[in-house]
Amino acid sequence: MTVESAFVSSPVRIMSVGAAAGGLRLAAADAGAAWGRPGGRGQAAVCAPDEDVLTLAAEAAGRALHAAGVDPQVVDGLWWGTSRPPFGEGPSHSLLAAAIGLPANSSGVLCSGSTHAGVDALLAAADAVAAGSARLALVVAADNQLPGPGTAFEARAGAAAVALLLRAEPGPATIGARVTRTRPYLDRYRGDGEPATRDVYDARLFREEVFMPLVTEVGEQLGALDVTTWSLPDPDGRLASVVARRLGSGAPASSAVYTAVGDTGAAAALLGAAEALDAAGTVGVVAYGGGRATGVVVTVESPVPGSAAVADALSGGTPASYAQVLRARGQLLASGETVPMGVPPESAMFVRGMSEMLGLLGARCADCGTISTPPSIHPTCINCGGTKLELVPLARRGVVHTFVVNQTMPAPFVAPLPIAVVDLEDGARVMLQAIGDGSDIKIGGEVELVLRRYAHERGVPVYGFKAHPVVERSPSDS
Amino acid sequence: MAWNRVAVVGAGLIKFGELFEQSYEQMAAGAFNAAVRAVDKGFDPKQVEAAFVATQRGTLWGQEGIGGNTVPTAIGLAGIACTRIENACPSGSDAFRVGAMAVASGVYDVVLVIGVEKMRDKSTEEGLLSRAAAGHPIYTRGETAPVLFAPFATRHMHDYGTTREMLASVAVKNHHNGALDPYAHFQSEITVDDVLKSPAVCTPLHLLDCCPQTDGAAATILVNAERAHEFTDRPVFVAGFGVATDHPYLHEKSTFVGLKATTLASDRAYQMAGIGPSQVDMAEVHDCFTITEILDIEDLGFVEKGKGGVASLDGETSLTGRIPVNTSGGLLAKGHPIGATGVAQLTECWWQLRGDAGERQVEIRNGYALQHNVGGRGSGVSVVNILTNKQ
Repeated sequence: MTVESAFVSSPVRIMSVGAAAGGLRLAAADAGAAWGRPGGRGQAAVCAPDEDVLTLAAEAAGRALHAAGVDPQVVDGLWWGTSRPPFGEGPSHSLLAAAIGLPANSSGVLCSGSTHAGVDALLAAADAVAAGSARLALVVAADNQLPGPGTAFEARAGAAAVALLLRAEPGPATIGARVTRTRPYLDRYRGDGEPATRDVYDARLFREEVFMPLVTEVGEQLGALDVTTWSLPDPDGRLASVVARRLGSGAPASSAVYTAVGDTGAAAALLGAAEALDAAGTVGVVAYGGGRATGVVVTVESPVPGSAAVADALSGGTPASYAQVLRARGQLLASGETVPMGVPPESAMFVRGMSEMLGLLGARCADCGTISTPPSIHPTCINCGGTKLELVPLARRGVVHTFVVNQTMPAPFVAPLPIAVVDLEDGARVMLQAIGDGSDIKIGGEVELVLRRYAHERGVPVYGFKAHPVVERSPSDS
Repeated sequence: MAWNRVAVVGAGLIKFGELFEQSYEQMAAGAFNAAVRAVDKGFDPKQVEAAFVATQRGTLWGQEGIGGNTVPTAIGLAGIACTRIENACPSGSDAFRVGAMAVASGVYDVVLVIGVEKMRDKSTEEGLLSRAAAGHPIYTRGETAPVLFAPFATRHMHDYGTTREMLASVAVKNHHNGALDPYAHFQSEITVDDVLKSPAVCTPLHLLDCCPQTDGAAATILVNAERAHEFTDRPVFVAGFGVATDHPYLHEKSTFVGLKATTLASDRAYQMAGIGPSQVDMAEVHDCFTITEILDIEDLGFVEKGKGGVASLDGETSLTGRIPVNTSGGLLAKGHPIGATGVAQLTECWWQLRGDAGERQVEIRNGYALQHNVGGRGSGVSVVNILTNKQ
C-alpha cells in the first residue's frame, strides 16, 4: 500500500512526558444504575470540585518539565489542546501559561472545538519546532468532559491531561509521519450555550458510516509504517478493539488508560500512547473528534523521561458516588443563595494579584531575608519593615505548623474543609486550604503545594495553591 | 499611680439574645436608658455632649452605611456630637478608650459610649458565616470566625498538652456564670460532656466551644473625674488602657500559642494604671471561643504561658478562684454582639467594683478590674481597659 502522508521537513523530538488525572473515580455501573440501566464495566476519572481542565493541564505540564529537568522560564511556548477550555472565550491560554511558570513572552496556541484538539496541538507544536519558530515547545492535551446526565457516555467520560516537551535536537523519541481523514458529521457535540455534551444521535450510524471508515483508513496508512504499538480512540468501550483487530493487532496500549480513567476526550490519544514511550518501538497514535481522524507515528529509541511514571499518575483516585460526581461537575447545585466571593473575579484586585496567585510568589526582604506573601498586599517586610523586596517563587514543599478542619460553612463551600498553616522549605509561612478530609494532616506532617480551583465564581474559575499531604513518594519525583 | 482622669458614673445593658422583635435603634435606646437609670444621683440625658458608637458590622442587617447619626436620633439627642468607632471585635472597648480620651482632653465633660450590634436580622449563613467568601480569594478562602482561633487550639494542644476537656472547662464555667446573670443570652448550666459531644464546628472546636450570635446593646456614661461626685458617691475610674495591633493574616503570625496584640495592649494598660496582673481582682476577657480565654489569661499575665488549660480545669478562674474571669458569663454564655461586647464587659467590671454584681459578686481586694477584647482579621487588634474603684 502507498503511504499518503506528509512528513515533517526536519525531525522533532519528544524530550519528556507527564500525566495527571482527576482525583475522583466514578464506577460506570453507578452511573448506569442512576438511570436504570447497566452502565458497563470500568470507571472514569472525574475532577474533584477543586480541580478542572486547567489544574490537570498544569499538573501534567509540571511533571513533564520536572522529568526533563527543564526550567519553565526557557520554554518558548504552550500548545494546548482541549475540547473544554476553562473559558468558552477568555484567558484560558494565558492563565495556564502563568500557572506553569512560562515566561511572559511565551507563544503558542489553544486548540479546541472537539476532542481532536489534543493531536492538533501536538502537530502545531511540532510544526513550530520544525519551522524554527520555537526551540522548546510544551504540548498539553487535557480534557475534563462534561457529559449530559443520562447519556450513555456519561459513565465513561473522563478527566485527564498529558504533556509532552518537544525540541529539534536529538531526543529519545521522534515524531514522524501523519495522516488525516475527515467527514463532516455531527457526532458528540454541544450547541452554543449548552453546558453539557450530547451523545451521538445514532450509535450504529456513527460506528458504521463515520468512525470505523475514518479510523480504519488512518490506521491502515500508519500500519504500513510497521507500527508495533497503538493508541486508538475508544468512544464506547468496544470500538478500539474492533479497529485493532482490523489492523491485525492485539489490544492497543491505550486500553489500559481507558480502563483506568475512561475516555479522556482530547487527552485520550496522547495519553493512550504515553506509557508506550517507555520502550523502544513504533507507536501509532490515532485521535478522533468532530468528524476528523488523525494519526501520527512516534518512533521511540529509548525510554522517554517521565513515561514510567504515567501509570502511577493515572492510578488511585477516590471512589465517588454518582451524586458526588454530579456535584463535582457542577450539575447538582445547592438550592437558594450561595455566598458570593467578596472580590469579583473581574476586578482590579485580580489584575494586581493574579500572577502571584497562579505563580505562588512571595516578596523576599533584601535586608533580613523574610518572605512576605502575597506581594501585592505587602509593600513592606512583615519582619523588619524593610521596603527593598524581591519577587520570588515560593518553595512548593513544606511542613504543617498548625491546622483546622472547617465543618461549618454556607454554600458553595462543602465540608469538611481542612486549612493548614505551612512552613515552606524556603522559610516562608503560608495558610492555604488543604486537599482531602483533614484526616491525614498533622503538625509536622509534610505537604506539597499544588494548583487547584478555589472557586467557580460568577462563571469564572479562580485558581490558587493548596496543601497536599505527602503520604508517600509523589509520582513527580520519579 | 493610676491615670484616673475620667470616671464612669453610669452603665447598663439590655438583655442579650436573639432579639428578633427589636430594631437596632430600639436596642440602642434600651441600653442608653439602662445607663441613665444607673446613675446614683440621677442624670438628665441632655447633659450628654458627645457620643461614641461602636458598631462593627452594619452589613449584618443591611445597614452598611450606619454612621454617627443613627444613635443620637434613636435616644432623643439628635444634634449632639457623635462618631462611630469600628475596630473589629474590640470596637466597644476602643469606643470606651476614645471616649475617655475625649473627656480627658477637656473638650467634653460628659460623653456617652454605647455599643450596639444587630447580629440576627440575617440568617447565620448570610451573616457571619458568609465571611468564608470574604477577603483574599485564596489566603482567607473558607476563613469563618472559628478558623481565626482553632489553629491556636491545635498548636496549644500540641505544644502544652492542652486537652479538649480543658477547653470545655472554660465553657462550663462561663455558662455557670451566665446562669447567674439576668442579661446573659444563655442562662443554663452545661457539663464538660455536653461540650465534648456537641457537633464539630471547626476541628478541634465544637459547638459549645463557640460563642453564639447575639443581638445586644450596652452603654456607659463617662465624665471628667473632677465632676464625678455630682453624679455618684461610688464612682469608678479609668485607671489605664492600651490598644495594640498585629499582622492581619494568620500566615503572618510568628506564634500560634499566643496573641501578640493582647500582650502588647495589656503591657501598655498595666503601665498606665501602674499595676501588674497580680493586682487585678477580676477580668472580663474575650472568650469568643474556649481556646481564646485560655490564650487570654496567659497573654494577660494571669497564668504562665502554657498553663491556661490546666488553670481553667483547676478552677483558678471561677467566681471563687484566684483570678475570677468572665463573671458575666463571657461571650460564650452572655453572647457577643460585637460592638456591644466590650461596653457590656465594662459594665460588668463597673458592677463588680461597686459591689453590685449580686450572686456573681467576687471579692475585690485591690480595687482593679480588667476588660479585654481581641479580634479582627488574624486577631490583629486588641484593647485592654483597666477600671478601679480607688480614687
